[in-house]
Amino acid sequence: MSRQSNRGTESKKMSSELFTLTYGALVTQLCKDYENDEDVNKQLDKMGYNIGVRLIEDFLARSNVGRCHDFRETADVIAKVAFKMYLGITPSITNWSPAGDEFSLILENNPLVDFVELPDNHSSLIYSNLLCGVLRGALEMVQMAVEAKFVQDTLKGDSVTEIRMRFIRRIEDNLPAGEE
Amino acid sequence: MAVCVAVIAKENYPLYIRSVPTENELKFHYMVHTSLDVVDEKISALGKALVDQRELYLGLLYPTEDHKVYGYVTNSKVKFVMVVDASNTALRDNEIRSMFRKLHNSYTDVMCNPFYNPGDRIQSRAFDSMVTSMMIQVC
Repeated sequence: MSRQSNRGTESKKMSSELFTLTYGALVTQLCKDYENDEDVNKQLDKMGYNIGVRLIEDFLARSNVGRCHDFRETADVIAKVAFKMYLGITPSITNWSPAGDEFSLILENNPLVDFVELPDNHSSLIYSNLLCGVLRGALEMVQMAVEAKFVQDTLKGDSVTEIRMRFIRRIEDNLPAGEE
Repeated sequence: MAVCVAVIAKENYPLYIRSVPTENELKFHYMVHTSLDVVDEKISALGKALVDQRELYLGLLYPTEDHKVYGYVTNSKVKFVMVVDASNTALRDNEIRSMFRKLHNSYTDVMCNPFYNPGDRIQSRAFDSMVTSMMIQVC
């Protein structure tokens, strides 16, 4: 029970600089450890995935949201509850595909990239790719296979950061997904 | 308003130096270099008092015939040196102070960039454009 006591709905405050610098240190270390940016992107996605499959439990326990009936509802919960809870921002949802299986999350400001300027030799690095992994991992645990990728990034000179989400299929068999 | 802006590391080597009339670059480098002695002098003379007041602004280091050199030193002993035109009498001490504060904030942001290694030359575009804006502003 002691564990439950510190799991309220209230969000704990932490220094955003510490968070940003920690993430920055992680990414730069990966850049040193891997030869090319594609490997770093892949590794960030994998780490995000592993965070996501765990974070979803915490999220469901804290937020009291029920089962979503369609993908639009899922999108709303991600933007208005999940991003608010963990990053303190509320991205807007736009660009729904006609079939309703694709949408974009627009992040006006991304707390991960405060201070960051990409050097010229890392032009293909997707700095915040961890987020895509988190979204993919978390939704996979609630029987939704999705694809998430960055299509715009303020670090690359775009005016906003945009994550494109695509619904692939429902995962019917309820087998726990293995870690990658 | 400023004609030359320089950031000097703790060990007295330049992290960043830029001057507006590019043809006279060497002259400004020389001026900044000379000013470092004055900075050192000021720090050791006022050392104790400066620490107590947390005063980072060193004031006018020395005036030359057509320029004035101002200094600022952070708590980590990184120095900022700014050369302004002496003909520009409208420039108040307070404005110089706020320019240095702006410079300091911008420098802090550079330091927080995870891709910047402390001690390297500053190549940040954001820092560069901030310095440019300080140089262009004519008052």
